[in-house]
Amino acid sequence: MRIQDLAAFAAAREAGLAKLLPSRPRIAVGMGTCGAGNGAEAVYHAFRDEIDTNGLDISLAPVGCFGFCAEEPLVNVWLPGRPLLVLRRVQPNHVGAILDAVAHGGLPPAETVLCKIEEWDHLTGHLKYGAGYPDVPSWDQVPFFHGQVKIVLRNCGLINPDDIEEYIGVGGYQALYKVLIDQNPTAVLEQMKASKLRGRGGAGFLTGNKWEFLAKAAGPEKYLICNADEGDPGAYMNRNEIESDPHSLIEGMVIAGYVTGAPRGIVYVRAEYPLAVLRLEQAIEQARAYGILGDNVLGRGFAFDLDMVEGAGAFVCGEETALIASLEGKAGRPRTRPPFPAQKGLNGKPTNINNVETWYNVAPIVAKGPAWFTETGSPKSSGTKVFSLVGKVRNTGLVEMPLGTPLATFIYDIGEGGTNGRDIKAVQTGGPSGGCIPADMFDTPVDYETLAQLGSIMGSGGMVVMDADNCMVDVARYFIEFTHSESCGKCVPCRVGLDKALRMLNRFTEGTASLDDLGLLDELCRMVRDTSLCALGGSAPNPVLTSLRHFRHEFEDHIVAKRCRAGVCQDLALSPCENSCPLHMNIPRFLQLYNEGRLEDAFLSVVMDNPLPASTGRVCQHPCDDRCRRAGIDEPVNMRDVHRLIADEILLSDKFEPMVARVREQRLEPTGREIAVVGAGPTGLACAYYLALFGHSVVVYDSRPAAGGMLRYALPEYRLPKHVLDREVELIERMGVRFMFNTSVGTDISLNDLARQYDAVFMAIGTWKETWVYLPGTELTGVLPALPFLEAASRKEEVPVGSKVVVIGGGNAAIDSARTARRLGAEVTVVYRRERKDMPAIPEEIEAAEDEGVKVAYLLSPHRIVGDKNGQVRALEAVVTKPGEFDTSGRRRPVPTDEVIRLECDTVILAVGEGVDPDFCRASGLTLNEDGTIMADRYTLETSRERFYAGGDLVTGASNVSNAMGLGKKAAREMDQRLMGQKRFPQLIPAFAYRMEPPETPAEVGRHVPPEAPASERVKSCAEVSLGLTPAAALAETSRCLRCDIRSTER
Amino acid sequence: MVEKVKVRIDGEVIAATAGQTILEVARANSKYIPALCYMEGLSATGACRLCVVEVSGVARLVPACTTPVAEGQSVVTSTPQIESYRKIALELLFAERNHVCAVCVSSGHCELQALAQEHGVTHVRYPYSCPRLPVDTTHPRYVLDHNRCILCGRCVRTCAEIEGAHVWDVAGRGIGSHLVSELQRPWGEATTCTSCGKCVQACPTGAMAEKGWAVEEMTKHKTVVSRLTSMREGS
Amino acid sequence: MDKVKIGTCWLDGCSGCHMSLLDVDESIVTILRKADIVYGPLVDAQEWPEGTDVAIIEGAVSSQDDRELVQTARARSKYLIALGDCAVTGNVPSMRNGIAVRKLLERVYVEGADVSAGIPTDGVPPLLRQAEPLRQTVKVDLHVPGCPPRPNAILMVLSELLEGREPDLGSKLRFG
Repeated sequence: MRIQDLAAFAAAREAGLAKLLPSRPRIAVGMGTCGAGNGAEAVYHAFRDEIDTNGLDISLAPVGCFGFCAEEPLVNVWLPGRPLLVLRRVQPNHVGAILDAVAHGGLPPAETVLCKIEEWDHLTGHLKYGAGYPDVPSWDQVPFFHGQVKIVLRNCGLINPDDIEEYIGVGGYQALYKVLIDQNPTAVLEQMKASKLRGRGGAGFLTGNKWEFLAKAAGPEKYLICNADEGDPGAYMNRNEIESDPHSLIEGMVIAGYVTGAPRGIVYVRAEYPLAVLRLEQAIEQARAYGILGDNVLGRGFAFDLDMVEGAGAFVCGEETALIASLEGKAGRPRTRPPFPAQKGLNGKPTNINNVETWYNVAPIVAKGPAWFTETGSPKSSGTKVFSLVGKVRNTGLVEMPLGTPLATFIYDIGEGGTNGRDIKAVQTGGPSGGCIPADMFDTPVDYETLAQLGSIMGSGGMVVMDADNCMVDVARYFIEFTHSESCGKCVPCRVGLDKALRMLNRFTEGTASLDDLGLLDELCRMVRDTSLCALGGSAPNPVLTSLRHFRHEFEDHIVAKRCRAGVCQDLALSPCENSCPLHMNIPRFLQLYNEGRLEDAFLSVVMDNPLPASTGRVCQHPCDDRCRRAGIDEPVNMRDVHRLIADEILLSDKFEPMVARVREQRLEPTGREIAVVGAGPTGLACAYYLALFGHSVVVYDSRPAAGGMLRYALPEYRLPKHVLDREVELIERMGVRFMFNTSVGTDISLNDLARQYDAVFMAIGTWKETWVYLPGTELTGVLPALPFLEAASRKEEVPVGSKVVVIGGGNAAIDSARTARRLGAEVTVVYRRERKDMPAIPEEIEAAEDEGVKVAYLLSPHRIVGDKNGQVRALEAVVTKPGEFDTSGRRRPVPTDEVIRLECDTVILAVGEGVDPDFCRASGLTLNEDGTIMADRYTLETSRERFYAGGDLVTGASNVSNAMGLGKKAAREMDQRLMGQKRFPQLIPAFAYRMEPPETPAEVGRHVPPEAPASERVKSCAEVSLGLTPAAALAETSRCLRCDIRSTER
Repeated sequence: MVEKVKVRIDGEVIAATAGQTILEVARANSKYIPALCYMEGLSATGACRLCVVEVSGVARLVPACTTPVAEGQSVVTSTPQIESYRKIALELLFAERNHVCAVCVSSGHCELQALAQEHGVTHVRYPYSCPRLPVDTTHPRYVLDHNRCILCGRCVRTCAEIEGAHVWDVAGRGIGSHLVSELQRPWGEATTCTSCGKCVQACPTGAMAEKGWAVEEMTKHKTVVSRLTSMREGS
Repeated sequence: MDKVKIGTCWLDGCSGCHMSLLDVDESIVTILRKADIVYGPLVDAQEWPEGTDVAIIEGAVSSQDDRELVQTARARSKYLIALGDCAVTGNVPSMRNGIAVRKLLERVYVEGADVSAGIPTDGVPPLLRQAEPLRQTVKVDLHVPGCPPRPNAILMVLSELLEGREPDLGSKLRFG
């Protein structure tokens, strides 16, 4: 059917509309590459078979992709007069139920219903589907779609890409027809210029101006080229656009042909996109058949034809001069400009190249006018841009947003934050040529200029989200590896510079780089950026340069500490668990030793890595669980409880004495050096223990009467029985550590005294100051800070707790206070201002508290404490909050509502956080950090005063036991190295011979979790809640380890 | 009618002909801009990036060899940044392949070696790649040592543009790019090669040399190419 | 005033740089008025002495012994000079770098041997994977390229250092 007049055009439009809104139900399956990859083909065939077999009167069509990749395959279901239903994750086994629902006019299975569309603005046309389904959210109420403005993707996922009539049905080719009838190319050109549409390929050059160059260039031989050589890893918007709506591309190019006087267009498309190639080929054929391409376009006497050329898969051919060289049959290498393609392009003739997405904006601009277009977007960057949101974000997919939208909207609103609730660290925009933007800059609006200021680019619109599991050094290395292998090799900076940058980055990831390499790499990357011939080399260093700018500390970690915190760089870690452990325990080793029945060896292995294994075995936050690769099979190995058992088996038995002797054997020769440790908490104990093993003479000062710090005075007995801690302290003492209790440094003995008496001083007095909230009523009787409360309870002193207690806070101290108060017989409510998932306390502890009858009230922000006339607490008034915008911590900020509730109580425990003692810190005369903590070198822990070191919470602010001990251990190592002039730590660790082969097949048993005393019993006493693993369970647990510490198995 | 333009190079106002490149104008007026891939008489490709200069009003550095002069243009041929970039480019070339100057026939007559000296390159700060590369000795009179090739493409253009034989081209991509004669056929078996030897004369390093010379003995006649071009243009 | 203490050694090199050093002829007398050579091929000292002022190292780092010696020299010297192309670039010794050490040794000591073929292990230091310039192993304060560096360049460097000035090599030296 050749359209040569308006009547024929109108007829095609009617035919198309009749297919889109037929008089019978229509089912459309999203059959883009993404849908097909998730099984859409099988779903389509299942529908086909069912419909044919049962002779159902239902229209079935393939459509493109609606953009929500995380929920593929998507299926549209429409009943006449009702909204279009978008179904998600449809599998062939859903087909019967869906067809049933269609037959009865009901809803398909609830788990498949994503949203509804009542009407849709195709911009060139408008479809009214109908009303109904009150319980189904409208498409723009779904977080992933909320705020999206679909200009480029206006037809994607809604029309059949293989059917030109459906395109015409939604108003397609009408803009072209209008342009041909108006016969005023200059006016169209002015429209394009006024729209301020900028090239969507990345460079952002004004499209109207480019067209003008071509229009003015001498003809008649001129070319229009569509650059569909999309090659960025993680970017696939062009593919989806062509697969879902090829005719929009054709229409844009034909309009441009008329405006610029170019009679021919070429689409240069990646050969790796077979479906896009196929659909475009079919679309071009159909367009020819319908008279939209050819000698007489739409009967208006204008000739334009379009060809498609498949690119051979060179990334550099996305660069326009390389693309032209490739079209000319030459090697795809760029050449210098000038001359620009508008002067001398394909075959030496004037040529205009635009990206796929740019062409998709043409028809809407012509149809609706430039003023409409500039309404969307920011002043300098009008319109929208399609981004592919991928990586560590919950909702992945193609997102079309107005330019100028802040990054936070993409990541936290559209993407709904990190996968598994993890904190997002950075986003990489613009593909391998873009840069990494850190999370604290997520208020950045996404437009050409702002991204460039941050050292990144818009590029093709890739957006790769990264969390703490991504190593920024490795990310930079990955992208350089890509661009290095895609460099054409013509110019020196790109060919050799990227190769050298890659070699240097490899040294970083292997831990063999030096600090000088940082400057060298930075300078090299600047040189490559500033002197490369084309944009590939010019932008390839961006990932490195931005990472060096925003994540320099990660590079330094790889060099100085030889650590990759993300656990990505394998050469720098023994295993993921070891890397995540603040004490860097050799976890696979003690698991294997225990597995071989060697309890004593296993204990020695544990205690050489961690002097408080029984305590940490009870209270550690176990970051190892999050890293354990066993989680990929079932659940992580319960490493914490195994080392608790190993420790208990020795410490609490008659094996203790022989083991003390064995650990003492590990001590190095006495050095005669004397070191003071201030603070007998976990940090100080860890440090003192290792210093003693190194052969130094160690004295530990503490203002309290016994050792253990928070472990003894803040952790409740039911979590950590004190007789267990006593044994650990005894072991440390018998390594030669001497204690001076009831001695306050600063009052009883000055720092200057210590400096005179000792060769080095380590300070670790922790964070004992409860943060005070500025809340009316805190002066009332019955308001208690958490730490003194817990300390009094631990000393078994009388604690003035009433019968109704409210605890304010969400950390471990809040939960410990609540459970302690519960054991003292009170009714307890914990008030927390955010949501449960935001609580810093260990999740198991929160659960246990709830089991014991503690109520936890979320989204409540304390307003005031109400007292009676005697000054006694009567109630807490709290404002109900609701989750608001995401803050830079990636959590939703609590927003107060008008609702205030009153909680009757007689005691309020404040557990909103602990801080360092500011008086001590100021009096120390040492340089402090902004938050009042003591400043210590990131790697050596040395303070501003020579020979004075500091660690633990005193340096970091309130943290947890294992982090604190990790710093104590590190301080001992660094102090010893400074005093003795060599690295002696490896000498401490004895050699263990144990099986170094991974299990052939991992044991098929689930994670062993220790039993707990029943909640009803345990609230009656302070007896320990967790009963620990049995030896048999621990043995079985060790056989679950996958042995990530073994790298190769040379047999 | 030849259009005349006035440009300013390093502060000096110079009259030039429209269509000339910055490099041509600079060199014609005794202003030195270093270059390796550029050779008088051949088309310019802008590959070595040694000739980058600052042009007023242009944000990026531009290669002087391919950028035409324009009226009122102001060019700066050397700044501390440009010098440091040139130095890096030279270091990169040394680190890319095995330029063991001590045992090279062209030592003392090598453009790369001379530029390194001129720019004070006393050592290379980047890790050496030390690739294993072949030496093609199949041609009876000439030898191609890939270890010393810097992929400037002068031989390629000389053969294609002057001799018209197009024996040489660059195959592969990125760091794997390498010179090939015909379709990977050894030089001695390349039937299109006329053995004219102009590629050897055009080569800035010891990558292409005549057989029979020892270390430091191979001198080249660089003007062969430009003389031929100007004679042809004159005819 | 105490004399400046100079130590020299050659690693994987041909001794040509030391020859060039001696080629300063009678100027060596002027130098030795201000400096002592405390370690080197022509000196008796068995071990690199502590407190050396200037270390002059010829040759590439090619074996385990080379690495240890240059590390010792670095640790015990204030200022370290890489003398000559082998120390600066790897030069001729580095021409083996594209070949695996084992293959190299087999080619030379097994395939290339007429009598008593076999890779020697006794009394010879194990070769490193590659022969590398000094700066890959230690911090180098001054690179003096050349194969060998011209005697007058060496003289200039030493004279400047003895005068307490940082030598400015400018464009005086080239590789090769």
